[in-house]
Amino acid sequence: MRYEAPESVQGAVALLAAANGDARVLAGGTDLLVQMRADVVEPELIVDIKRIRETRAVTQENGGWRIGAAVTGAELKEHAPLKQAWPGVVEAANLIGSTQVQGRATLGGNLCNGSPAADSVPALIAAGAVAKLAGPHGQRDLPVEDVMLGPRTLALRPGEFVVSFLLPPRPPRSADAYLRFIPRTEMDIAVVGAGVSIAVDGAGTITAARVSLGAVAPRVLLVAEAAQAIIGSRLDDAAQERLAAAARAACRPIDDKRGTTEFRVDVAGVLARRAALIAMDRARTR
Amino acid sequence: MIRLTVNGQAHELDVPSYRTLLDCLRYDLGLTGSKEGCGVGVCGACTVLLDGKMISSCIALAVFADGREVTTVEGLAEDERLHPVQQAFMDAGGFQCGICTPGQVVAAKALLDAIPHPSEAEIKEWMLGNLCRCTGYYKIVESIQAAAGQARA
Amino acid sequence: MADAVATTQELRIVGQPIQRHDARDKVAAAMAYAGDFALPGMLHAFVLRSPYPSARIVKLDTQRAAAMPGVAVVLTARDVPKNTLSTDVPGQTTTVGPLRATLHVLAEDRVRHQGEPVALIAAETLEQARAATEAVDVEYAPLPSVFTTADALAPGAPAVHESGNLLAQWRIARGDVAAGFARAAVVVEGEYVTQFVDAAYLEPESGVAWIDSDGVITIRLSTQVIEHFRDVAEVLNVPQNRVRVIGTYLGGGFGGKEDVTVEVYLGLLALKTGRPVKMVWTRQESLLARAKRHPYRLKYRTGALATGEIVAQEIDLLADSGAYAYLSALVLLYSTVTAAGPYRAPNVSVVARVAYTNNPPTSAMRGFGAMQTVFGYESQMDRVARALGIDPVRVRAVNTLRRGDSLPVGQVMETHVAIPELARRAWAALGTPAAPRAPHVKVGRGLACNLQPYGRIVWLHDWSSAWIGFEMDGSLVVRCGAPDVGGGQASSLCQIASEVLGVPLDRIVVHVSDSALTPLSGTTTASRQLYMSGNAVLKAARELRAQLLTVAARLLDTDAEKLEMIDGAVHAPDARTLSLRSLLVECARASVPRSHLGVYHAPAGEPVDLNAGAGKVFPDYTFGAHAAEVEVDTETGEVRVLKYAAAHDVGRAINPQSVEGQIQGGAVQGLGYGLMEDVVVEDGINLTTSFATYLIPTAADVPDVEAIVVESGEGLGPFNARGIGEPPIGPPAAAVANAIEDATGARMTRLPITAERVARALGLVTE
Repeated sequence: MRYEAPESVQGAVALLAAANGDARVLAGGTDLLVQMRADVVEPELIVDIKRIRETRAVTQENGGWRIGAAVTGAELKEHAPLKQAWPGVVEAANLIGSTQVQGRATLGGNLCNGSPAADSVPALIAAGAVAKLAGPHGQRDLPVEDVMLGPRTLALRPGEFVVSFLLPPRPPRSADAYLRFIPRTEMDIAVVGAGVSIAVDGAGTITAARVSLGAVAPRVLLVAEAAQAIIGSRLDDAAQERLAAAARAACRPIDDKRGTTEFRVDVAGVLARRAALIAMDRARTR
Repeated sequence: MIRLTVNGQAHELDVPSYRTLLDCLRYDLGLTGSKEGCGVGVCGACTVLLDGKMISSCIALAVFADGREVTTVEGLAEDERLHPVQQAFMDAGGFQCGICTPGQVVAAKALLDAIPHPSEAEIKEWMLGNLCRCTGYYKIVESIQAAAGQARA
Repeated sequence: MADAVATTQELRIVGQPIQRHDARDKVAAAMAYAGDFALPGMLHAFVLRSPYPSARIVKLDTQRAAAMPGVAVVLTARDVPKNTLSTDVPGQTTTVGPLRATLHVLAEDRVRHQGEPVALIAAETLEQARAATEAVDVEYAPLPSVFTTADALAPGAPAVHESGNLLAQWRIARGDVAAGFARAAVVVEGEYVTQFVDAAYLEPESGVAWIDSDGVITIRLSTQVIEHFRDVAEVLNVPQNRVRVIGTYLGGGFGGKEDVTVEVYLGLLALKTGRPVKMVWTRQESLLARAKRHPYRLKYRTGALATGEIVAQEIDLLADSGAYAYLSALVLLYSTVTAAGPYRAPNVSVVARVAYTNNPPTSAMRGFGAMQTVFGYESQMDRVARALGIDPVRVRAVNTLRRGDSLPVGQVMETHVAIPELARRAWAALGTPAAPRAPHVKVGRGLACNLQPYGRIVWLHDWSSAWIGFEMDGSLVVRCGAPDVGGGQASSLCQIASEVLGVPLDRIVVHVSDSALTPLSGTTTASRQLYMSGNAVLKAARELRAQLLTVAARLLDTDAEKLEMIDGAVHAPDARTLSLRSLLVECARASVPRSHLGVYHAPAGEPVDLNAGAGKVFPDYTFGAHAAEVEVDTETGEVRVLKYAAAHDVGRAINPQSVEGQIQGGAVQGLGYGLMEDVVVEDGINLTTSFATYLIPTAADVPDVEAIVVESGEGLGPFNARGIGEPPIGPPAAAVANAIEDATGARMTRLPITAERVARALGLVTE
């Protein structure tokens, strides 16, 4: 196995494009190392992208925030302005693993690991994040909801990797939230995850919303019907019920030892509603 | 060939790129204080500091530490004087079988470096990646509070 | 049994929260655990295990594996001198009772569970050993199999063993059950189901073996039972005195290191290669290969008068032994004896069975069959209380066994049963109830009590021995075969010696757990080590003291009874002192030994006929009461334990810090059992072979456990201590289940009590 740590996007792309056999991009490495140790993957090449400046930066861009794919959860937590603007995204990133793992786990790695239960992905999708991909044919932008196609299946082309994410500008009176449900308090994989981003007008009526659900389908879902269910409302009881029902209707979960289909569906409605209430509360006070 | 500093001592090692940092510490450098409890980065028995930040060394490659500084449990005491966190674990009985203790004290040191006076909730949140099967955590939390100069609420 | 001398004299060291002698090594990571040890020229070993739960081995060819680079040896069943391993009743016992449990060291023609060992490989590096394992050419033909106890006992079920699938059964019948039910004002029925769980110590099974001088095969490993040296010798077909087991300080045991782990494999490989060999199981292998706690199905029917007094109990227990017997028959005996709890049961019938399946084998784990029953009898107790509108503390007090009462098995309670006081104190410790923090949250409280035997079954004729000797400078050496599993076993022995001989703790060194060099003391299991080896040390220390004081009395011209040994000197009533050093010189001159071997024999008895319903089974019991306050999320079913108090009568706390640690740690393991731990086995395949899937509690999952240490001064151990190793793991699951019913009205009957199960019980999940 060869290990490379290029210092430029072009260097990484060149290595990936030239690779024969299984080449893996490594950011924090917390998932990849587990898979390697379990012999699930046996890469011939590892390209560590942490030394590439663009993957490690958090910068303002056109009123939004650009976050490098190899920025860790712990670093996001320390970034006060980002946390202020996108509390749900930062919270979600900090649910990935223990403190030992949070110092390494990254948004890029969490997405590209290709798990439908990845915690930060519903938060990114609810936020409307767009991934910047670099590959042999240049760079392109892809909404996060379109990056993952199914378990361990990504829309990345050969030689491509995720360089960064762009979170859009925040209108006034808007906020996001992420909640998940797991069997143990922490350090576990979500049975259900729910990300909600909301904007309200001066009267407290929801003007825009995005709702995303994790671990309830082969890929993380962007549930337009759930968002529609609350746009125009003040998230009164009836709107909450509509939201929960729409969220549940969108679920197509697997049935496993961590949670049956029916239970995941049920909890998805509860979490979507609760995440919306938190986001609403935050949005009103801005 | 990698160059790394472990507990203040510089090393040059020729390690295969698949070698974990934990195996490198235990087998190449003979530092057996860090333990392998799970191999998947969830139990914390292999916790070490990499440039001052705590990581699970069982899911880190040795090559990650190239050019960097590693602190293991063996590096906490200064000569015969235990680190205050180690002394607190001793005094408060924050251990039983002791197999998780190296990871616990390294994680606790990292906590107090980051948050000198943590609340009980902050302690539990920080330490949740350090499993202990013997103590039920009570005396571990108490030890950390003692090291921070706090009495248990 | 109460030791008048010990309880009346003022204690100086016993009862103090002293710092354990192993504290510094452990916090400084200077302790060389089994897996930290290495020898020059050492081979690394790996076990090839069956991927099938039930199959015939149709081909097993090791030629290609043996030719792989670095491979020293590949062993299969035909290379094992005697391929049968006895797995029942390890330790210092002379009688094994009616059962013989055996298994093959390496599978011969058939495997009966996933993970069953098939071949052993030793190579220069671990990577080479693993690679060679994959090169062993083995073909399996799947055989019919059974995965539930009900299926196993059904007529025509595929036989796991030729002897049939019913491994053992015990029955107790006492009084007139039908008449009891006829008198009852209320009858409650419940069926409870418990799961496989894993000991999940943080130190996986590990050890190193080498051939020492004079051909002694020496195995240094993490074990609760150094007496397995005899089993290794049997398998290797060498005399028992040619095998030595050195037990390291363990990184946790909890019963999982009671049966053999790596020692037989290491012994075989050392013998075959003549080289040092190391074997360390990965976590995955440990979770796959180690015996689990028995899953049970428990059926209870309980009748009570309006006062809460229980007048009839009908109990039916069915346990899953997995593919081999191990200690299952005895685990089941513990369940049978404790099935009605620490309560009077004038009319009771208990039928207990354990069956073979093709699931992972089950065996010892902290609580040992006396744990699953707590979930049964304490759920029933709460149901009775609820049906009659009686307070949970009161219903238990009404039924508690008193001294002189007997258990259903006919054993008379000879020591104080502190259940009412323990229950009252644990309940009171919860304080003011918490207000629900949100409208969708409900808060409730539950209580659960238990009894747990300490010491071994009386017909095992258990004994322990310890040697104590002074060096010429007055420092003291304690030698005792007891393995230290982490509970402070060795340290407590020092405390006892220090108390009796007046030697400061820093002048004592203790050597434990070496089958060649320390007097044998039996297993660190069954909550017996403080009781048994504590008594052996106490006896050795007292007899040594008497020896020395005879000499001192002559020197000081006074009576030996008037002398005291304090702080390394002998003190006469008139304030004259004699230094230990002078005394020891005089002993040498007078040919009086400066050391003594103490042997303690537990009260023994003959096997009781359970059907005849009379007799003593265990030396004594430890009692406890736990109280929990929980919150239940009524939209998701999530349960969070807010407050927890655990009270036990420990007789006397030798080291209160260690006792609290046992109680807190045991309670948290019990909460893990109650709320999250689950070895998921589907059609014989273990789906939880990683700590990412087998979940144990983290610091963030559990409340502060308030340990309430009650000292009745009644127990059979040194200074009237009772065993406290196992008891605290018993009550938590039932306490939490009872609290959930208090909060929500939903009765949880299946472990673990996951959010989904609660959600279903609350009717939240739409099908």
